[in-house]
Amino acid sequence: MTAAVTGWALRTPLGGEAGAVCARLLAGERAAAPAPEGYVRDGRPICVVAAPPRDLRHRRFLPRLGLLAIEAAAEAFMASGAGGGDRLGLFSGCGGLRVDWDETLPALAGQRPDGAAAWALGLRGLHPFWLLRHLSNNVHALAATDHGARGEGSAFGGAGSGAQALQAAVRAIEAGAVDAALVLAHDSLLEAEAAVELAAGGAVATGALDALAAPYDLAAAGFVPGEAVAALVLEPVDRAGGRALARVDAAVVADGREGAPAGATLARALSRVARGERIIDGAGLANPALDAAERAALAGVTGADAILLALSSATGQLGAATPLVQVIALGALLRQGRLPPIAGLRRPAPGPLRPLAAAEPTGERAALAVSAGAPGVAGALRVEVP
Amino acid sequence: MSRAVITGAGAVSAFGVGLDALLDGLARGEGAVGPIRSFDASAFPVRVAGEVPVEATTAAWMLPHLPRFGDALARWSAEGTFRDRKVPFALLAAAEAWRRAGCGPACRSAGLSVAFGIEHTFFEDLAALFDGSAVDWRRGEEPGLPRVRVRSRFDLGARVLLEHFGLEGPVAVHASACAGGALAVAHAAALVERGAASIVLCGASDSMLEPFGFGGFCRLGALSLRNTPDACRPFDRSRDGLIMGEGAAMFVVEAEEHARARGARPLATVLGWSSSQDAHRLTAPRPDGAASRRAMEGALRRAGVAPEAVGYVNAHGTGTPLNDVAEARAIRATLGAAAERIPVSSIKGAVGHLMAASGAIELAACLLPLTRDLLPGTAHHRDRDPECDLDIIGGRPRHARVETVLSNSFGFGGQNGCVVLGRSAP
Repeated sequence: MTAAVTGWALRTPLGGEAGAVCARLLAGERAAAPAPEGYVRDGRPICVVAAPPRDLRHRRFLPRLGLLAIEAAAEAFMASGAGGGDRLGLFSGCGGLRVDWDETLPALAGQRPDGAAAWALGLRGLHPFWLLRHLSNNVHALAATDHGARGEGSAFGGAGSGAQALQAAVRAIEAGAVDAALVLAHDSLLEAEAAVELAAGGAVATGALDALAAPYDLAAAGFVPGEAVAALVLEPVDRAGGRALARVDAAVVADGREGAPAGATLARALSRVARGERIIDGAGLANPALDAAERAALAGVTGADAILLALSSATGQLGAATPLVQVIALGALLRQGRLPPIAGLRRPAPGPLRPLAAAEPTGERAALAVSAGAPGVAGALRVEVP
Repeated sequence: MSRAVITGAGAVSAFGVGLDALLDGLARGEGAVGPIRSFDASAFPVRVAGEVPVEATTAAWMLPHLPRFGDALARWSAEGTFRDRKVPFALLAAAEAWRRAGCGPACRSAGLSVAFGIEHTFFEDLAALFDGSAVDWRRGEEPGLPRVRVRSRFDLGARVLLEHFGLEGPVAVHASACAGGALAVAHAAALVERGAASIVLCGASDSMLEPFGFGGFCRLGALSLRNTPDACRPFDRSRDGLIMGEGAAMFVVEAEEHARARGARPLATVLGWSSSQDAHRLTAPRPDGAASRRAMEGALRRAGVAPEAVGYVNAHGTGTPLNDVAEARAIRATLGAAAERIPVSSIKGAVGHLMAASGAIELAACLLPLTRDLLPGTAHHRDRDPECDLDIIGGRPRHARVETVLSNSFGFGGQNGCVVLGRSAP
């Protein structure tokens, strides 16, 4: 039950090209940098996509990350050679549904506390397309238009939406509902609202950059928030033939928890796709209790001696974009036959699985990955390269 | 493969709280659009909507509907969770659906498939940020946020439902704009059919009846400017725009054998569904209706229902000049010669456009033909546009016994979702 990946593209804090991202992963680099002055908390480590969008056609409707998503979609689509039309599906996930403050503050600035006369005091000055700029499926719609994706499709929202989109696309391919599927995800944990919420919840690393501890490290004390966009083109395996960059399967489950899913839930998702693989990219929340529970649970699926990676140690947590970035990075790394270290891992916490502290070669052709999102959503995927 | 059936439904609409309020209102052929009361809209260019008849969605307002949950309601209310009207609407509709389906603790393995809103903002939460005392940015410590909660409304609604019902199954939050509600129900049926869940709480809730959402829509220019209760006139020659609505519809969808085993009586069967994208423009539908036609055809194909066997079409029918013509063309192309005799209506003249929840509330309206042998009318439709060459039901509902109904949801950005429901055996 898999689909072939025939095109991929990404924009991450480590770079915007799969080969370059892999090189930095293998070098053990971290994208984390001190938050600039004026950010929610100055100096706190964050991971930012540095490259500005080049394709600005849709700038009236999309903020920066949306434009990057459109760009990645075009790149993946072109690389795949797939065609648009009634049999091209589109499945997308958008985790961070945020306010475009630049567009909104002028309308708020003159308001009275009681909200009276709101129209006259600013709302009438909103751009006619202000609402469309905040539309939950605007990236989805514009990507559909750009590539003539007129087949089946769905847009998902929330932290697990990338995993949902990937799973839905794989199933649509398997069911024969579409001949090809464009899968998109974009998310940012850096925008003001997310940053405030994450800080208030105590989930993010707060110390200086040189003291930053990696996930699965004894000193782990929170993750580094990041942002990313990624796009895949999926096709049936037999149709893709030699064009396949990788094969992918995906699963999503949930457990009803308010925050991150339990380790057992991650393992339940993983068991849906695992076929005896020995490499796994963990959720890497850099919370000692959650990390330990995750390792214990995942080991029940993979065995205790499986290799544990943490791509998020280098890229930061990427929210809804995580699963697609995992597909691309793991696929590219397996094709190179090299596994990256957990960036910044100095003192691995004890426990099952083998956290990788230094890059090493591998002959394995398949790997697993899990991702964690609130509320209690666990994504899992399996990537196999030809 | 399991058949997915609807065993419970709940609704909150401009007719009031409860599925019966919706179905009774539609059965009377009434409209529920009126002056906006929940905020001061007096200076807005549009001042009417299909507003749920409550000014403030407080715990006190909700308590009669959820009498055993006073503590939880008080807590959520204190946290500001109910400031966004779509959250309490979803909770009330879901509680009704859960109750009508006879669900209890034994159903906690249920999944959740929901759509909440079509836009990004959650200004209600952010209001306190503009109060100087609201945020305490203590140097070297975590920020104190005594009055500020910053939440994605997508997640917030789902979290409230997960907590209230203790659900432990798969979760999906849909963001397909006005097709979100239909696709949430379709997703639930798909989970049931392939055995990923035995039972799913699903549906949608939306409200943009707050100054920003409503103001944004006013600026977009899609609303009728008539400012009368009959402003929205789907498929009518004089139509000039949509009217906003708000509310929720939630369903319990489960495997038929699961329902029968626990003694639940199906209200309807989810026979088929499909989706497509216009891939045309962000702001306008494909004029030829080709993509929405494909969604209808796909749903009927999946349902195993021939076009001529469709008993009734619940149209998206927004009442905008472009949408109604494109949809009429698509329906006619889908149904072929049978379009001459298959009744079509839109309930948006009666309750307004519920945005993300429109597909869900319209599926709830489809229970009127399937449970009461009444086809909803098209409120305020008087003079059919010749370009909408269909058997449009006028303002009064029509008596008819039908076996299958097709419900259309065509969203902003060109996302289309269609669902086919069938009459269930008693």
